[in-house]
Amino acid sequence: MSEELTYEAQATKEDLASPEHVAGTMTQKKLNDDLLKLISVPGPIWWGLFLLDLAILSLGLIAERNQIALGIGVAGHTRPAMWASYVTNFVFWVGIAHCGTLVSAILFLFRSHFRRAVYRIAEAMTVFGVLTAGIFPILHLGRPWFAYWLFPYPNQRQIWPNFRSPLEWDVFAVTTYLTVSSIFFLVGIIPDAAAARDRAKNPYMKLIFTIFSFGWTGGNNQWKHFYGAYLYFAAFATPLVLSVHSVVSWDFAMAQIPGWHSTIFAPYFVAGAIFSGVAMVINLLIPIRWGFKLEHIVTDDHIEKLAKLVLLTSTIVGYSYLVEFFCAWYGPSRFEREMFWNRFFGHYWWAGWIMFTCNVIIPLLLWFKKIRRHMPVLFVIMLFVNVGMWFERFVIIVSSLSHPFNPSGWDVNYRMSWSEAAILAASFAWFGMFFLIFIRLLPAFSVAEIKETLVAPMRGRKAS
Amino acid sequence: MIKAIGNMIDKMLTGPPQRYQGVMGIFFYVDDATHAVTALRGMGHKNLSVYSPVPHHTIEHALEQGPSLVRWITAVGAALGLTGGFALCIYSVYSYPLVVGGKELVSLPPFVVIGYESFILIGSLANLFGMLALGRLPQVKSKAPYDPRFTEDKIGIWVPCSGEAATRVQETMRGHGAEEVKLHA
Repeated sequence: MSEELTYEAQATKEDLASPEHVAGTMTQKKLNDDLLKLISVPGPIWWGLFLLDLAILSLGLIAERNQIALGIGVAGHTRPAMWASYVTNFVFWVGIAHCGTLVSAILFLFRSHFRRAVYRIAEAMTVFGVLTAGIFPILHLGRPWFAYWLFPYPNQRQIWPNFRSPLEWDVFAVTTYLTVSSIFFLVGIIPDAAAARDRAKNPYMKLIFTIFSFGWTGGNNQWKHFYGAYLYFAAFATPLVLSVHSVVSWDFAMAQIPGWHSTIFAPYFVAGAIFSGVAMVINLLIPIRWGFKLEHIVTDDHIEKLAKLVLLTSTIVGYSYLVEFFCAWYGPSRFEREMFWNRFFGHYWWAGWIMFTCNVIIPLLLWFKKIRRHMPVLFVIMLFVNVGMWFERFVIIVSSLSHPFNPSGWDVNYRMSWSEAAILAASFAWFGMFFLIFIRLLPAFSVAEIKETLVAPMRGRKAS
Repeated sequence: MIKAIGNMIDKMLTGPPQRYQGVMGIFFYVDDATHAVTALRGMGHKNLSVYSPVPHHTIEHALEQGPSLVRWITAVGAALGLTGGFALCIYSVYSYPLVVGGKELVSLPPFVVIGYESFILIGSLANLFGMLALGRLPQVKSKAPYDPRFTEDKIGIWVPCSGEAATRVQETMRGHGAEEVKLHA
């Protein structure tokens, strides 16, 4: 009897009018059915995507094998541009990873309820994004088997890493970010894994959910400590989000290279990271909600709010570009002026203009409400944003390095080799592989938190 | 083979039958459950447990739950992380002194980044372990008879009791709108 009862029947007018309210006739039981249906035996579309993904990944593995066998020379690095696509990819993927914790932690602290429908996807994107980003500094070492030298550990030579180096700061920032984001992600899954466990028929799936749920029963003592801790995870993750990309920006800003040595890099990088990360979340959410018919859970309102965040960060990024140019023009350094002129009119002019068009001009379309709510158009705009943000990192890294103080280096220009292109493609496949497995294996939406948006069932009887 | 392993997993997850002594009431309405908790606590059953798919503030208030102690564990972890991060940097420069450009060995500004990241890392790990320890997770054996509907849409109230008290608890639960009341003796 009670299963047929809809919460809307008892909701106030304000509750129903609230954009956070899950639309339609919805019960807690139906919500479990709708959200946990993603966890099922994959169909041919999933298998097709997964196999394509593995094929691209294999290509990247062949390229990496080539690089290990023949040396780092197979990459197109040419003096003076010795940081090129690998560092570009690293910064791009760290940026993508940035949004998940932003959406989850900051919006949790500000009690912004629209996060509930989108944060799990965003958090998964963060974890997989950092896992992808973390590969690139290791590949760039040339001898990846010595990557453990980056970490401080007692050794017989009593040698420690240089803690004054921004590159060592990066090691600490990125590993902390990976650890904290993974904890935040996995802790959030505990109650939902328990819901999946309780309806699983297959013993293998039941075992997986039992492991992820930690034996959760939903007892009052568990909820109390769960939310007690969750608040602090959010409180820690928020400054961490801001610090990680600031530290990444200092990899560049601490150097004296024209185009890098700038005090605005930290906020500029953080805004750029949020910009690309939110765009990627939209790119992931639109096909998922369409494919699994979840438009009533992830509503147009949710997507529109994310699109507004993209618009806001696009204006910050555009402003940063202009400030950089202004400082170069107004400042005393001739090298800096030359460098910025070179960005848009030098050898890599096309990269500079792709960056500016995709990150500043195309997102202007988001001023229109109709476009923010038109999913196919929004999807394409977000693709452009991500292309633009990859080129932003390319422009910062490659065009700056190619135009150093010494003019003798200006004629030698970096070209991406096929190995680098294959590894770049494989990074998307690596990320996609995790994501495809995730949406079929674990609850991709927070069942418990979305349930909280429903009006709780009340009989309305006075206490006896 | 796969089926046999599956059966083994199933058996392992189900475990041997547990013996419980008490009353489990299953509620649908939050206000019914809240009133039942208040009434049962008024009868002296302070050690009752409530199971629900989402936390409800009214039930939390009825249970008179204080704030979680996890914050103290987190604070200790964060303080250790902060001091540990700085200590690592300072120790490393003294253990292998290499003066560059006549500058001080201990230069705090660059060490702030390491201290800050360690503060967050160790604080978060302490927060995690604090949550698991206080919430008794991972939980292998439930302290009350568990019902899968508790992760769906039902609220369970478990009162450990027996004999005469159990009868009174059952009546109280029914009187407050319990959909099901089960006696475990």
